[in-house]
Amino acid sequence: MIKHPLRILTMGLALTAATLAAAAAQDLPKMKQKQAYKVGFAQTESNNPWRIAQTESMKAEAQKQGWQLVYTDAAGSAAKQVADVDSMIAQGVDLIFLAPREEKPLVAAVMKAKRAGIPVILLDRRVDETQAKPGRDYVTFIGSDFIDQGRRAAEWLVKSTGGNAKIIELQGTVGSSPANDRRKGFAEVIAKNPGMQIVASQSGDFVRDKGRQVMETLLQANPQATAVYAHNDEMAIGALAALEAAGRKPGKDITVVSIDGTRDALQGIVDGKIGAVVESNPRFGPKAFETARRYAAGEKIDPWIKVPDNFYEASNAAESVASAY
Amino acid sequence: MAEITLQKRPGEAAAVRTRRRIKALARGWGAPLALVLLLAFNVLFTPNFLTWQTFFVNLTQVATIVIVATGMTLVIATGGIDLSVGSLMAIAGALAPLILSGALTGPLDPGLAVALAFVLPVLAAGLFGLFNGVLVTRFAIQPIVATLVLFIAGRGIAQVMTNGNLQTFSNPSFQWIGLGRILGLPVQAVLMVAIVALAAWILRRTVFGRHVLATGGNEPAARLAGVPVTGVKLAVYAISGLLSGLAGLVVIAINSSSDANLIGLGMELDAIAAVAVGGTLLTGGRASVVGTLLGALIIQLLRYTLLANGVPDAAALVVKAAAILLAVWIQRQGEGR
Repeated sequence: MIKHPLRILTMGLALTAATLAAAAAQDLPKMKQKQAYKVGFAQTESNNPWRIAQTESMKAEAQKQGWQLVYTDAAGSAAKQVADVDSMIAQGVDLIFLAPREEKPLVAAVMKAKRAGIPVILLDRRVDETQAKPGRDYVTFIGSDFIDQGRRAAEWLVKSTGGNAKIIELQGTVGSSPANDRRKGFAEVIAKNPGMQIVASQSGDFVRDKGRQVMETLLQANPQATAVYAHNDEMAIGALAALEAAGRKPGKDITVVSIDGTRDALQGIVDGKIGAVVESNPRFGPKAFETARRYAAGEKIDPWIKVPDNFYEASNAAESVASAY
Repeated sequence: MAEITLQKRPGEAAAVRTRRRIKALARGWGAPLALVLLLAFNVLFTPNFLTWQTFFVNLTQVATIVIVATGMTLVIATGGIDLSVGSLMAIAGALAPLILSGALTGPLDPGLAVALAFVLPVLAAGLFGLFNGVLVTRFAIQPIVATLVLFIAGRGIAQVMTNGNLQTFSNPSFQWIGLGRILGLPVQAVLMVAIVALAAWILRRTVFGRHVLATGGNEPAARLAGVPVTGVKLAVYAISGLLSGLAGLVVIAINSSSDANLIGLGMELDAIAAVAVGGTLLTGGRASVVGTLLGALIIQLLRYTLLANGVPDAAALVVKAAAILLAVWIQRQGEGR
């Protein structure tokens, strides 16, 4: 008799544990097979050419597929983006494409969608991996490999300077993942080449005006520099202005390499001022919709789908200027 | 007991007097002293500091801050403050490329387009400044709240005009204001010196200047003494708007691009910092335009020093704030007596 309650308690505990385990291992929400879907796209902001190109690509692909697209723009506010996702859940979309503004705040949005039985695909930025994992809480992350972008920029620079260069690096916004990763990838390759040396590295905040001012200053302090590595095109264009104002001849006595692939930068290559640009592809539409369709068909999706990035240099820039964003 | 505490030995009195004299000296000479110290540090430690190019780089970078801060000095001298300067820069900066490209008016004669691209954006910014003045005078709204309206809405207006898109352009005659040289000196540096000189002269030598200081010193008294307080305030906010518009044009001309989201972002704080470091009383009634110039130069040189010597951005911000604090503290030494 005395043992009974204990046994019940044990059984109860075991049951609870089993339910908890089941809940933790609960799979991603499924998607029904349909001809056309209603999907949401929660954009983070649209104040730069890259974002605008990304939105246009998503809208164009939705139209092409004949899917209905619910589009929201969080205007740079994580709080608004969480609310945007809420309203998409209320509207009963089949799937949500989310370009999360920040890593931690948007975990909540991902989890809410999961509980509502709506699968989420992340675009171009991630959420905190310790709190939400691809394949468990959201389908996958589609985006560029920023570390690889940095690596490719460095490899081109090593090749074009014969392994000898004194480099000024213009970093992106401090603490942002593109800036961190583009610095890391670049530094990896540079470390393997003893002739390559980063003489100065400061943040230009991904902005043309600041890129120019920081370049002016760094160039004064390091006139021996023979190369510039900018984490994005806008800063590279600012750097060109600074170089020319200081009487340097970019493309001749100093090599400039950057990342993004905007029209202005490709024109810079055509004009012979910028050496090379690693593309950071904003055209997510085709990849995103294809992934959604494959997921609906029940296929296994990799936790990270890499967007292929082009590489532009003197040989191929001219033909790409017109189609650049 | 009282007698003992009141009586001071002659030596002590002299010491107090000396201390007071040093304090007064510190107040008057704090900013120039800080500038000289910074210069000395740079000459010793920053590579290639003593070159003309370094001099020009610093002048071109500081010019827009000084131009805006001059207007800010006048506003602060009346006891007000103008938070909208950065947003007004954005409006002017967004407007000019629209005029140059003819998107606003249809195709124009190139010469006329350039002339309009100089005049209209500055006038527009001036009118918005006047609007600030009306809020402050007619509706008696506190300046910090009144100008907050355009601080928020102004950038919105600029973004609506351009759909938030980056505008790029190339027009050498317009860009002369940012890239040209007068007698070998950068145009915006010449502009900066001219504006500072004019404002300093106005403040010191004209009736209007007296009225500005009187308004800030004691507004009811000034009103009773017949100072046209309302007109003075309207004028200083309009001037601040005009100068902001001009600074906006300089910024876009240097970069041959205009991004309504970023032109003049944070400028109000840079300008107020320059004014504070320069020794102008933030409560009004005492102002020094030349002090503002020195204040802006100190902040600029500090930024240059930190960057050129490889101090990371995050640390640089802290050092900058500490330096501003120090400069203001030095100047406050002679006060309260």
